[in-house]
Amino acid sequence: MKTLPPSKNWADVKVGDELPELVIELTPTVIISTAIASRDYQDVHHDRDLAHKKGSKDIFMNILSTNGFVGRYVTDWAGPNAVLRSVKIRLGVPNYPYDQMRFSGKVESKELVDGEGRLELEIRGANQLGDHVKGTVQLVLPTRA
Amino acid sequence: MSEPDQSLDERLQEYVKAAVPSPPGPPARDPVNRPMIHHWCDAIGDTNPIYVDEELAAQSVHGGLVAPPTMLQAWGMPGLRGRGPSLPEHARAPALVGGNRNRGPVALLHEAGYTSVVATDSEQEYKRYLRPGDVLRMSGGLESISSEKKTALGDGYFVTNKTTYWDQNDEVVAEMRFRILWFKPRRRGGGEESQP
Repeated sequence: MKTLPPSKNWADVKVGDELPELVIELTPTVIISTAIASRDYQDVHHDRDLAHKKGSKDIFMNILSTNGFVGRYVTDWAGPNAVLRSVKIRLGVPNYPYDQMRFSGKVESKELVDGEGRLELEIRGANQLGDHVKGTVQLVLPTRA
Repeated sequence: MSEPDQSLDERLQEYVKAAVPSPPGPPARDPVNRPMIHHWCDAIGDTNPIYVDEELAAQSVHGGLVAPPTMLQAWGMPGLRGRGPSLPEHARAPALVGGNRNRGPVALLHEAGYTSVVATDSEQEYKRYLRPGDVLRMSGGLESISSEKKTALGDGYFVTNKTTYWDQNDEVVAEMRFRILWFKPRRRGGGEESQP
């Protein structure tokens, strides 16, 4: 029988803990496949000629995909039993192809509410132009019995 | 409702005051489903087994397969041919390019020269994880408009819309705030629809 990979336990997480860096290669395939997987067919996310005409230097990632990468970054670290409660993001510079987005993150606060182990994380995803995304993620982790 | 001598700010705030959230629209074109979850996880590179592996998901706190929570907006997107009726027009638009340019507050902003748009903030709150088979409906509308702000892109107004996602049992499963900036581009070529 297969076994679910381990998850972080709320009791073991400290405020100030840093998440390991995650680097996303922003290939055209990544920009386009994530836009289409989110059912966003706006041309600026898959058609470079039209993106140029609209004043953009290239196609760029859509915001729905940015949300997806933030969610992945958090659960890659926290494990499959982490439950996301909220993802709040602010967008900065666009994610263009042939760049990288480097995620970093930190535990901002933790509290136990009615036996529920809650965390708040600060997340940042930067490319060579600057911060693409800054955000706050609230989640619940298993607590030790 | 608008007097000719009113300022743009006053006219915009009248729209905010008059805004009534739409009732839940018709069901999304497709229920929450495994093929779309597979495409999403492949594209995002998300290997969390609770989204794709029945056996492992059964061992998780969810007790079975769930959809990635951050995939929320995808379930209500209209798709390539504009199907997927999930929201009335005024409420659907903010999830796309910022609103109807022919009427309402966005038309006012356009007339006043605030013709470029950029998505600035997304806030999603999840009441529960979605599961394959869930059928979503959405309600929502205009929540607030800022006063004129100076930004790096140019002077503009932040427009915030709120969308509520309902399931087949008329329970709220998630809420989303989506904020966009309508601005006067500072220089030529400044990004009409530059994001999202």
